[in-house]
Amino acid sequence: MGETIKVDAKGMACPGPISVLTRAYRKAKNGDIIEIEATDPGFKPDVQAWVKRTGNELLELTEENGVIRARIKVTAKRA
Amino acid sequence: MKGLGIIMYSGEAEKFIPLGVLTQTAANLGIPVRIFVTGFAMLYFLKQKPEPRFSKEFEDFVPKIHEGMEKIKAPSWYDMLKEAKETGDVKVYVCSLMAKVAGVSKEDMDPIVDDVVGATFFFNETEDYEVIFI
Repeated sequence: MGETIKVDAKGMACPGPISVLTRAYRKAKNGDIIEIEATDPGFKPDVQAWVKRTGNELLELTEENGVIRARIKVTAKRA
Repeated sequence: MKGLGIIMYSGEAEKFIPLGVLTQTAANLGIPVRIFVTGFAMLYFLKQKPEPRFSKEFEDFVPKIHEGMEKIKAPSWYDMLKEAKETGDVKVYVCSLMAKVAGVSKEDMDPIVDDVVGATFFFNETEDYEVIFI
């Protein structure tokens, strides 16, 4: 079972949220879940692009009261 | 995209913002970045940097930009580059011709600079890359 890593990127602007996501991703292992919250309106398309480019899995992407929340399963780390 | 090459030529302060943002974004996506610093931009890659200078025609807009950047706590272009270097495959090269013209050498460069090189080296490094000019 992987770990769940929570990342708070609220209040940060582009490319801040993706940078903190990348930082968390570097320490993560395959099977881990990264949960990130951001308020930058660009985060929604950006996180989808990041997942596509890095080959990980987007489990959930929601928006509530201006907070965008993404749950990403880490699957593309090379051993 | 195999990589991103950036020729950083302008010394105007506002142009350093896209330099920071694009470099960090590429690093986040695992795209290698090679930056070739030349022209007046080089002055800001020395240990002794001049005060930031914004372009004349948008001078009246500068306080608003500053205020906005502070409000969102945006990191400086320098911190973005530094972080990008930690995250990804990012190298900063200073143009040897410009260094010579300005009478500076490797010892005068900010530690963010990897090397002083010629344009040929940069062309070779970025052979399969998209290259942009700022």
